Amino acid sequence: MSPRRTPDGGRIDRSRQVRFTFDGTSYSGHPGDTLASALLANGVTLFGRSFKYHRPRGVMTAGIDEPNALVTVLEGDVREPNIPATMLEIRDGLTVVSQNRYPSLAFDLGAINGLAGRLFSAGFYYKTFMGPVIGPLKGTRFWMFCEWFIRRAAGLGRAGHAADRSRYERVNAFCDVLVVGAGPAGLMAARAAADEGRRVILADLDARPGGSANWSDETIDGMAAPEWVATMLAELSGRDNVRILPRTTVWGYYDDNTLAALERVTDHKAKPETGEPRHRTWTIRTGSVVLATGALERPMVFPGNDRPGVMLAAAAERYASEFGVLVGERAVLFTNNDRAYRSAAALARAGAKIGTIVDVRDTVSAAAQRLASECGAELLTGRAVVATEGRSRLTGVTVRAFDAKSGAVSGDARNLAADCLLVSGGWSPALHLASQAGAKPRWDAALQAFLPPEPTQNWVAAGAVAGAYTTAEALRQGLEAGRRAAGSSDDRGEIGIPLAADDELDPAPAPVFEIRADGKAFVDHQHDVTADDVRLAHREGFVSVEHLKRYTTLGMATDQGKTSNVPGMAIMAAAVGKPVEEVGTTRFRPPFAPVSLGSLAAERHGHLKPERLTPMHDWHVAGGATMMTAGLWFRPQVYGQPGETVEQAYVREAKAVRGSVGIVDVSTLGKIAVQGPDAAEFLDRVYTNTFSTLPVGKARYGLMLREDGFAFDDGTTWRLGETEFLMTTTTVNAGKVMQHLEYLLDVVWPDLRVHLTSVTDEWAGAALSGPKARQVLEACVTGTAVDDATLPFMGIVRGEIDGAPVTICRLSFSGELAYEIYCGAGYGTHVWETLIAAGRPFGIVPYGLEALGALRIEKGHVTGAEIDGRTTARDLHLDWMLSKKKPFVGSAMMDREGMTGPGRLELVGVVSLDGRPLNGGAHIVENANPAAPRDSIGHVTSVCYSPALRRYIALALVEDGKARRGTRAFVSDPVRNRFGPVELVSHHFFDPEGKRLHG
Amino acid sequence: MAEPLSPLQPVWRPGRHGNLSGGAGVVLSETRPASIVQVAAWPGSERAVIAAIRAATGLAVPDGAGGGVATATKAAFGIAPGRFLVVDQAEGLEAELRGRIDARTGSVTGLSHGRTAIRVDGPKAEWVLAKLFAIDFGLTALPAGSGVATQHHDVLAQIQRTGAVRFDLYVFRSLARSFWQTLCHSAEDVGYEVI
Repeated sequence: MSPRRTPDGGRIDRSRQVRFTFDGTSYSGHPGDTLASALLANGVTLFGRSFKYHRPRGVMTAGIDEPNALVTVLEGDVREPNIPATMLEIRDGLTVVSQNRYPSLAFDLGAINGLAGRLFSAGFYYKTFMGPVIGPLKGTRFWMFCEWFIRRAAGLGRAGHAADRSRYERVNAFCDVLVVGAGPAGLMAARAAADEGRRVILADLDARPGGSANWSDETIDGMAAPEWVATMLAELSGRDNVRILPRTTVWGYYDDNTLAALERVTDHKAKPETGEPRHRTWTIRTGSVVLATGALERPMVFPGNDRPGVMLAAAAERYASEFGVLVGERAVLFTNNDRAYRSAAALARAGAKIGTIVDVRDTVSAAAQRLASECGAELLTGRAVVATEGRSRLTGVTVRAFDAKSGAVSGDARNLAADCLLVSGGWSPALHLASQAGAKPRWDAALQAFLPPEPTQNWVAAGAVAGAYTTAEALRQGLEAGRRAAGSSDDRGEIGIPLAADDELDPAPAPVFEIRADGKAFVDHQHDVTADDVRLAHREGFVSVEHLKRYTTLGMATDQGKTSNVPGMAIMAAAVGKPVEEVGTTRFRPPFAPVSLGSLAAERHGHLKPERLTPMHDWHVAGGATMMTAGLWFRPQVYGQPGETVEQAYVREAKAVRGSVGIVDVSTLGKIAVQGPDAAEFLDRVYTNTFSTLPVGKARYGLMLREDGFAFDDGTTWRLGETEFLMTTTTVNAGKVMQHLEYLLDVVWPDLRVHLTSVTDEWAGAALSGPKARQVLEACVTGTAVDDATLPFMGIVRGEIDGAPVTICRLSFSGELAYEIYCGAGYGTHVWETLIAAGRPFGIVPYGLEALGALRIEKGHVTGAEIDGRTTARDLHLDWMLSKKKPFVGSAMMDREGMTGPGRLELVGVVSLDGRPLNGGAHIVENANPAAPRDSIGHVTSVCYSPALRRYIALALVEDGKARRGTRAFVSDPVRNRFGPVELVSHHFFDPEGKRLHG
Repeated sequence: MAEPLSPLQPVWRPGRHGNLSGGAGVVLSETRPASIVQVAAWPGSERAVIAAIRAATGLAVPDGAGGGVATATKAAFGIAPGRFLVVDQAEGLEAELRGRIDARTGSVTGLSHGRTAIRVDGPKAEWVLAKLFAIDFGLTALPAGSGVATQHHDVLAQIQRTGAVRFDLYVFRSLARSFWQTLCHSAEDVGYEVI
C-alpha cells in the first residue's frame, strides 16, 4: 500500500498496478490514477519549481486549472513539456520529468532567485534591461546580452528538437446540440435533448465523465452520485443519437456555432491501436450549445500560499473520493465559505485528521458548524492564515485574528502543525467559452464571481457555470437547458428531474480574496505574480485589467489564470478603490486549455499538399526523369543520362527537337471547356483578340488581360463546334483563369449562356516537335491524314492512335513543326508509348521542362516569368493582339497613364558576352563598375544555354528595351557574385521569320 | 485497343489493412464507370435537362439541390445549381445525352477520363469521410441518392450517397492517387478492405 493511499474507496482499479517513472524514480499506481494522484499516493509533494523564483511547488488542484504541477513527458527522444500532472493519466512505461530546475528538483540552483525577490517585480525586464548603459552594452544590446541568461533561468518546460512521430487527425462533426461538460447539469441536458430526438454530442475533458458527481457524497435519484453518473452514461451510450466524447476539451467557440475540441485519444494507453491517433481535433458544427462547464474553486492570497501541501479544498476532496488518496494526515482548512466544510468532512471520512478550520468570517452557518463538529475540527472564526512553514513540504501554518470587513490582521499569532492546508476562496464559473461567444461577463455580488454574459450565439448555460452551485439546482438547470437547446416548446416543468437534496450549505463566499501580511503572497502561481506586483502595476499607472495582465503577466501562460484571474482583479479593484464589477475581467480567448500543435496540423504534414500527377507520370519516373514541381503538378525536368548534368541533358534534348523530333508531356496545361450559344461572344470579351470569327476545327492563340489592363494569361483556344471551345491556359494559372471566368459569368454577364468546366484532367496531352514530327504522326495515326492540307498550322483533326481516339492540333511552342496530341487521360500512357515507338526510327527523345524552356526562350515566347502581373501586352510586344474593333476585359484600362509611353520595362533578348551563364532575377545595369552596380535598368526573367546559338541567352524586362536593341549593358547579380557584359537584342533569337514552324 | 489505365494502379493494394480487430470498417473500391458525364442546364431549362437524363438513363433525378438517384449501374445527382453528374458503368452515355440535349437547353461534357470514381462502403464510411470533408454525412442531411460538391484541401470531390452506408466519390484524376492514399490512411483506425 502506498503511504497516502486509503485502504478502500475511489474509482481506481486497485486490482492492477501501473508502473511509471518521475525524475528517474520508479513508482506505481493504479489504472484510473492521474500522475498527480499517483505521486501523491506515493507521498510525493514536490512537483516542480516556480517560474521566476524557483520556489518549490506542489499540486494545487485536481484538474485542468493546475498552475504548479507541470511536467515534461518523454517519449523516446520526443519531449512534451508543460503537461499538468493533474490531467495526465498514468500508463505503463510513462516517463515524466520535472521542469525548470537544475541540477535536480530537490536541489535547484535557480532558487537563489528567491533572494532577489524585490528585483524581479512586475516590469522587471522592461526596467532593468532596456535602458542602462554598462560599458559598451546599452539599451537593446544589453537586453540581447542578458536574454540568454534570463531565458535559461526563467520559464516553463523545455521543448525538444526531435520530430514528433505521433499520429494526429482531425474530424468534422455535426449535431443539433453540443453539451460541453458531463457533470450533473451536462448529463441532464444531454438526456433532455436526446429525448427530443436531437443529435447530441456530449464532451467532457476528464477521462471519467460525471464531473463533481464522481467525487460527491450526495445522493441523486436514490443512488450514490457516482452510481447515478454510471447509469446515465450507460443510458446515453445506448442511444443512436448521442455521441459521448470523454477526454475531450472543447477549447474554442467560433462563429456560426462552430466549436473546436481536442480529444486525447491514446495518451492514456501504453500502445495505441493500429491507426489510432494520439490526439484528434474535432470541428463541431452544432445548432445549439449547452455550456455545463462547471466552476473552478479559487485560492486565497496570503503569504506562503504556494508552499507544497497548500491545496484547494475541493481538490483534496476529489483526491480522497475519486482516487482514494489522502493528501495529508493532519490538515487545516482555511476558507471564506460554507461549501469548503464539505471537503473537510470528506477528508475526515477518508481518514485524515482535520485539526482546525480557519474561517475569515465571524459567524458561520449551523450546517457548516455541524460539519466542523463531525470532522472533530477546532473552528476558528474571524481568523486568517498569515504564514506557512516548511521547505519542500508544509509543516505548519500561522493564524491571526482577521477583520473580514477591513481586511486588518491583528492579535497574536498562533502556530498550527499541519502537513496539508486546504484553501477555498469561493468558486469562479468556468465561463471561458461563454465569454468567447458572448458579451461582457457580469459580476454577481452575492456569489462574488463573474457569471456568463449575454450570449451572442445560440448557447445556454447550466449548472455551476451559471451560478447554480448545488447539485439539485444544476440538475434542474441542465434539464431546462437541454430542452431549450433542443428547441422544445413543451413546458413540462420539473417532470424528469432526479431528486437530489437541496444543499443547506450557502455557496456564497465572504468577499475576502487576500490576507495582507508580510511575505510573498502569490496571485498567479504559474507566473510568480504576487499581490504586491498587482499593486505595483497600479502605482505605475496600469489601471485597465488588460494592461495589468500584460504588465504583470497575470493570467498568462498555459493555465491562462484559471486560479488567479478573479483574485487578481479583486486585488486590482481594491487598489483602484472601485468595486470588482467596475474593474471587470479580461476577455477570454481560445484556447481554453493548451492544444497540441500536432492536432492542429493533423494530416497536413509530410507532403503538405496533394501531389498532382499527369497520366504519364509513372512512365516519366521509370524513364529516369528528374521530376520537379510546378504548382501541385510534378513534371519532368530532364531525362538525364548517366553522368549528364542538367544543362547537358536539356541541351541534348533541345538539340534533338531542332534536329529531328522530341516529345514532351503537356497534360498539365489548364483546359477549360467553354460551351454554350454565347461561348464565342464570351471569348471575344475575355480575350484581347477575336474568337467569334474562328472557324470550327481551328485554334487561335489568345491573350487575356486583367481588369486593370495588365497581361494575365495566354494560351490557345480550339473551336471544336459552333458552340464548343476548348480553352488552354498556362499550367500555373489554370485555377486563376477559371475563377476569373466564372466570376465574369456569375457577376458581370449573367445573361450569357455559357458553361465552363475544368477538363484539364480529362485529356492527356503530348507535344510532338521537330522537323520529323509529321512523319512520326503519319506512322501511327489512323482515321485522318496529317498532311499540310488536312492539318495546316492551327488546324485540328480527329483520329486514332492504336485504337485510342485522339484530337490533334498543329501548333508550336518550340518554333518547330509541332503538334499537340490529346487523348482521354486513361489512354495517355498508351498513346505516349505508341508515339515514341513510331518516333524511334527518327531518334525521338522525350524532353523535359528545361528543354521546353530553352526552346521557347530561343523563340522569345513569354510565360509566367514575363507575364508577371506588372507587364502589359505592349511591354511584351503583343500589341498586335489588341483588337481595335471590340472592347474586352482590360481594354478600358490598358492605355491609362503609366501603362504606355517611355520608361516601361519591355521584353528584350540578352546574350552573355563573357560565355558565362546568366541568372534569373539578375539586374541589367549600364555602369561598367562591378563594385558600384547601381541604376538598374531592368532584370533577367528567363535564362538558358541556347543549343541553336551556342551561347548563354536570356529574356529580360528592360527600360525602353526595344530602343536598346543592339546596345551593350551588364548583368549584375551581387547575390550570386556575377557581373559581366551582355548584349541586348531582339527577343526573337532563333528563326524570327518562323519558317521552321511550317516544316 | 488498350484499356484505360487507372491512376491508382501503383498504389492499389487489394486486401485488408489497418486495425481489423472489429473487422473491416469500410470497403474501398474504384468503380471505374465507362461513362461520367456532366450535364448543365441554362436557367429555366432544368426540368428539360432532368427529363433528358431520365430519357437517356431511366433515372428520375429529383429537382432540388443535390438531389439524386442511384442504381447498381447508373447514377445521377446535382453538383451545382442546374448541373448534374450522370454516371453509367456502360460506354456511350455522353453521345446519348448529346443526342437529347441541344445547345439551347444546356451542355454536355464528357468527364469519363477526368474523374476517378472511388466507393467507400461500410459501417464506418461516415466516420472515415468525416475526417476528410466538412460535410454532414448524416442520413437526414444527406439522404440516399443525394450528393454534394466539396473539397478536401485542394482535391475537389463530388460525393453521392448511394446506400445507407455507401458513398461514391468523384475526384480529379490527377489528384486521385494522393487522395486515395489519404483515404486509406484515414481508414486505418477502423480497418479497411480494398477490393
